[in-house]
Amino acid sequence: MFFQVLFKALTSSNTWETTLTFAALLVLPALGGVISERSGVVNIAMEGMMLTGAFAAVMITLLFSNIGVSNPLSIILGVLAAMLAGGAMALIHAIVSINFKANQIVSGVAINIFALGLTSYLLFVLTPAGQGVPSLPSTLLLPTLSWGPLSKIPWLGTVLFQQNIVFYIAILILIAVQFLLFSTNIGLRIRAVGEHPQAADTAGVNVRLLRYLCVISSGLLSGLAGAYLSIGVAGVFNTNMTDGKGFIALAAVIFGKYTPLGAAGACLIFGLGYGLSLPLADLSSNQYLPTLLSTLPYVFTLIALVGLVGRTTPPAADGIPYDPASE
Amino acid sequence: MAVPVKQTEAPEQRPPASRLGSLARKYGASLGPPVFAVILAMIAGAIVILITWPDKTVSPFQNIFNAYGALFTGSYGSFASISTTLVTVSPLIFASISVAIAFRAGLFNIGAAGQLAVGAMAADMVGLTFTSWPSWVLIPVMLLASILAGAIWAGIAGFLKAWRGAHEVISTIMLNWIAFYGTDYLINSAPFTAPFGINQTIALPPQAQLPFVASLSNQIFGTQLNTFSYTVDVSIFFALIALVIYWFIISRTTFGYELRVIGQNPKAARYAGIPTKRNIFLVMAIAGAFAGLAGSTRLMGQPGYELSATAFSTSPTGFDAIAVALIGQTTAIGILLASLLIGGLRSGSTAMQAIAHVDPNLVLIIEALVLFFIAAEFVPVLRRALPAWLRPRFIPTLQTTTIDRTIVDQPEKDNGDAQNVYPAISELEKEE
Repeated sequence: MFFQVLFKALTSSNTWETTLTFAALLVLPALGGVISERSGVVNIAMEGMMLTGAFAAVMITLLFSNIGVSNPLSIILGVLAAMLAGGAMALIHAIVSINFKANQIVSGVAINIFALGLTSYLLFVLTPAGQGVPSLPSTLLLPTLSWGPLSKIPWLGTVLFQQNIVFYIAILILIAVQFLLFSTNIGLRIRAVGEHPQAADTAGVNVRLLRYLCVISSGLLSGLAGAYLSIGVAGVFNTNMTDGKGFIALAAVIFGKYTPLGAAGACLIFGLGYGLSLPLADLSSNQYLPTLLSTLPYVFTLIALVGLVGRTTPPAADGIPYDPASE
Repeated sequence: MAVPVKQTEAPEQRPPASRLGSLARKYGASLGPPVFAVILAMIAGAIVILITWPDKTVSPFQNIFNAYGALFTGSYGSFASISTTLVTVSPLIFASISVAIAFRAGLFNIGAAGQLAVGAMAADMVGLTFTSWPSWVLIPVMLLASILAGAIWAGIAGFLKAWRGAHEVISTIMLNWIAFYGTDYLINSAPFTAPFGINQTIALPPQAQLPFVASLSNQIFGTQLNTFSYTVDVSIFFALIALVIYWFIISRTTFGYELRVIGQNPKAARYAGIPTKRNIFLVMAIAGAFAGLAGSTRLMGQPGYELSATAFSTSPTGFDAIAVALIGQTTAIGILLASLLIGGLRSGSTAMQAIAHVDPNLVLIIEALVLFFIAAEFVPVLRRALPAWLRPRFIPTLQTTTIDRTIVDQPEKDNGDAQNVYPAISELEKEE
C-alpha cells in the first residue's frame, strides 16, 4: 500500500512539476544566502526580503495595470519593484551589519519583523478599507513558458518545458552564481573576504564594497523569489504569506554546504517534500500527515549540522564584522 | 597575581563621586541606550503615521496623538487594561529570560518560539491525558512537563553547539520549524484534537487552570473584583519569581559566574578550567525550560485558550522576547521593564486600531526599529556625532557584537593568551 502510493506519486508528472516549482522558489533566496554568507555576512533575513518582494510585486503590478499600463509591462515593473524592495531590505541589513558592525543575527531578526510589520501595515493603509488586495487575474501573473513541441513530450514536457518563466530564470541564475563564485576572479575575492577579510584587504580587495554587493544581491534574488511567490504561484498577497519559506532557503544554504549547486540540490529535496505532500496525504486517515512531512527539510538540515552526512562548515569569517583596525 | 597583567587600555579615570551619584550613573549608563532607542523608534513610528495618515477624518498630527494616546490608554489606561496587558507580559517575561540567559553565555537562543510551542504542547498533552487528577497534582506535573519539553528541545541545540560545533542560531531556527509543524500535527491528531475539524485541541479540564489573580483576591481578601474585566492569572507571579531566580542564577551562583566568563571570553573560560561544553549545554537547557514555561503558563492561565494549529508559527512572543532581552540589556530588572513596554505596545495596539484606526502592525515596525537602533549601537554613534557639551554621559553596557568579537580579537600568540585571560576575569570581578 505505502510503496504503491509512493511509487505512483514519484512517477507522476504532477509531483515533479510541483517539486520543481517549489525548488525554483526556494533556490533563489538560497543562492542569495550563499552569496551573502560566502562574503562573510550572515543572512537570516531572506524570509523578510521575500515577503517585501512579494508585497511590492503585487502592489506595483496592480498599480500600473490600474492606470492603464499594458499587462506585460506591469508585470515586469512589478518584478523589478519586488527586486528593488528586497534589495532595499538587504541594504538596511548591509548598512547595519557592515558599517555599524552590528550583530548580524539581531539585524536579521529585525529585518524579518520589520518586513512583516511594514507589509501588513502598508497592506492595511494602501488598500480600500484595509481589505487587502484581491486575487490577481491570470493575465497579470508571471507567464508559464511553453516550449512548443518540447512541451508535448509525454512526461518530461509537463515537468520541464511548461514551467513558469521564473523557473528558467532561476536555472540561469544558478549557473551564473556557480560560475561567478568558483570560476571568476571576483568569486575568488568574495570567498577570500568571507574566509579571511584581513588577508583580502591586504591584497587590495575592497572588503566593505564586496560585502555590500553580496548582501544586496541576496536581497535582489530574495525579492525576485517573493515576486514569483505572489504574482507567480499564489496570485495574491496575504499577510505573512512566505510562512517560513525564507527559513527553508536558509536551511538549503547550510544543507548545501554553502555552495550554489549544493543549495540547489537541497532545494530540490525540500521541493520534493511539497510535491509529495498532496499524494501522501491519501496514505493516512489523518489528513494532516503533510504537516508532519513539512518538518523534513529542517530535520535533514539538523542531521547535516550534526555531521552524519558530512559536516557543513560556514566560511571562517561568517558573521564577524570586519574591522580594519582589529589586526 | 603571578602573571603580569598587561593593560591594553587605560581605564577611564573618574572623580570619586557620592554613592548616590555613582548609583545614578550606573543605572543611567545601562538605561540610556535602550531608552533612547525606544524614543527614536517611537518618533519613527509617528513619522510613519504622519506619512500614511490612516485616519483621514482628523489631521495627521491629531492622528499621531490619537494613536499613541490609544496605545497608552489601551495598555495602561485603566486597571482592567493593565490586567489585560499583564496577560501578554507574563509569557513574554519567561521567554525573554530564556533569550537573556543564553545571551549571558554568548549564545543566541532564537528558538524561544519553538521551545514555547513544545512546552505548551507537552503541558496540554499531560492535561488532556490525566483529566481525573486533582488540581494540586495536575498543575505541577503539567508545568514540569513543559519545563522538560522545553529543556530537551533547547538542549538539542546546546548539545549540537557544545559537542558538534553547530551554530546555535541555525539549529534553533530549524528546531523552531520542526516544533511548529510537529505541534500542528499533534493538535490536529487524535486524541487531542477537538471534534468537527476546527484545528484546535480539546479544552483542558477546569482543574488544570491557573486561578485568576482577581478570583484569588476575592477569596482571600474578600474583594469584589470582576473576573471578566480583570483577566490576569497567577502566572504573572510565577513570572516575577522566575525573574528573581534568573537574577540569582546569574549574579549569585558559580554557574552564573562561569556563564558570564564564557559569554565575555570563551578562551579565558577554557583556560580558567571552566567546563565550557557542559555549561553551554546546561544554559541552553535552562533557557528552554523558561521558554517552555512561557507556553504552559499561557495555556493554563487563560480559560478557553486551546492550542490551535499555526498559532505558534504566527505568535509574536518568540521574537518579542529577543527584543525584550536586548532592550532590557539581559538584566532581570531590565527584562521586567522591557516586557512591560513591549507587552504594553502589543496589548495597546488593539485599542489603537479601534480608536485611532491605525493598523496594529505599526507596533511591529516600532519594535524592529528598536532592534536596529540597539543592534547598530546607533545611540552611541549619535552621541559621538553631537558636540561635546551636548553629549549625554552614558556608556553602552551590552555590546551584542562582543559575542563574535571576543573570539577573533584574541591574538593568536604563544604566550599572549595567558596574559590576556586575566584582565577579562578581573574585569568581571570588578563588575560585581
